[in-house]
Amino acid sequence: MQKKSMYAPALLWKRFLAFLIDVVILDFVVFAPFSGAIKELLPVGNFHAMQEFFAANASLTSKLTLLLFFLGIIALLYFSILEYRIQQTAGKILFKLHVVSQSNELKFWQCLVRSLFIIPVFPFVLLWIIDPITMLFTQNNQRLLERLSQTATVELIYPKAFTVGA
Amino acid sequence: MKQEKRSKWKIVLIVVLMLFVFSFLISLFFRLLNEVPEFGNVAHIKIYGPIMVTKSGGWMSSGTSSTDIAELIEKADKAIGVKAILLEINSPGGSAVASDEIARAIKKSNKTTVAWIREVGASGAYWIASATDHIVANRMSVTGSIGVIGSYLEFAELIEQYNVTYRRMVAGKYKDLGSPFKELTEEEESLLQDLLDQLHEEFIQEVASNRNLPYEKTKEIATGMFYLGKQAKELGLVDALGGKEEAIAYLEKQMNATATLAKYEKPKGFWELLTEVFAEHSFRLGEGLGESLFRKKGLLET
Repeated sequence: MQKKSMYAPALLWKRFLAFLIDVVILDFVVFAPFSGAIKELLPVGNFHAMQEFFAANASLTSKLTLLLFFLGIIALLYFSILEYRIQQTAGKILFKLHVVSQSNELKFWQCLVRSLFIIPVFPFVLLWIIDPITMLFTQNNQRLLERLSQTATVELIYPKAFTVGA
Repeated sequence: MKQEKRSKWKIVLIVVLMLFVFSFLISLFFRLLNEVPEFGNVAHIKIYGPIMVTKSGGWMSSGTSSTDIAELIEKADKAIGVKAILLEINSPGGSAVASDEIARAIKKSNKTTVAWIREVGASGAYWIASATDHIVANRMSVTGSIGVIGSYLEFAELIEQYNVTYRRMVAGKYKDLGSPFKELTEEEESLLQDLLDQLHEEFIQEVASNRNLPYEKTKEIATGMFYLGKQAKELGLVDALGGKEEAIAYLEKQMNATATLAKYEKPKGFWELLTEVFAEHSFRLGEGLGESLFRKKGLLET
């Protein structure tokens, strides 16, 4: 006897937890080394003092943006490389989720586009709101970027009733 | 199936490691960019180790360059938002010229300056501290040592024992004055001593002027003797006993605002950055892991 496997749109709570796990991994391994640099950059104080500081150091804003951009690129590479190579990330492996292409074979540009929301600079930060909201209005819980990249996040299910006899 | 899962985790591990190296390189690159200004209303400048005009020994050298410190003081003086300068001193002293350069930079500044003496703030380091508006030292700090030293080892007899001859070839009879390979004559000793006395006199006058002490009293205590903080306060060489808190309390009183320290230091060279970034990476990784493991078990206070 062999089980016939099927994919179904991944449950939202699984996607959310898988994403959290990936963020934690990124935080420990990739972002933690930057925390010292970010702490030094970001002024602590009242709003007026911060405003005065940024006004006196105009180049600081661009440095901060550059730093955040690099962090975003690293996170983007994490998701795109893993999803392209094995159709999963660490979090997705744990929850048995997969990234599939709705057209033919999954391509690298598809993995890149679907993860663009992760870059923490304008205009990508707008996707933090737009991207998840579209999940509520699509049939397969697809985010906006998933629709654009023609991909979906699915989970493997083993229907108990299904058996294919030898 | 199991093997497939294992190979997936292997790929995840490889990618994460690659990204770790990438982030390491980027953080190094980031620090090599133009120096990042520190936020705060008190410029915190460290004066550690021997004080010289320039640091010798490359990236592994210790000590303080007066050129660097004077530049930092000037930068803090011009910075909008910086209302005061805190000099953290832990130095046995150094060259008279280097000490004077820093002292002059301090006196030129229009902002409140405070010297916070840690373990040692003696000789040239005390010369610098005396130029500030307020000196705080620990009761056990070693300070004072208002004197000049020019001692050296003389090898004239030793080389003679080994049948080595010092061939004196000079144009200008005092050109090799102080050479360790020849005996110091009485006349030369007197000349050297005179130079040292002149430097000493400069030092005494500086301290007397900076600390508003009578010249005669300053000369009395300027025997080169070092004093502990408590004694130094009694003699009028320091203003208060304490540490960082006391220094900050004084600054806050002067500024009439909460003090926020901004680190002012010279941008580091490539190799110094490389070792520092590597050490910080390891620390942050361990800090994150340790915190996540032990905070939940209640072993760390939040």
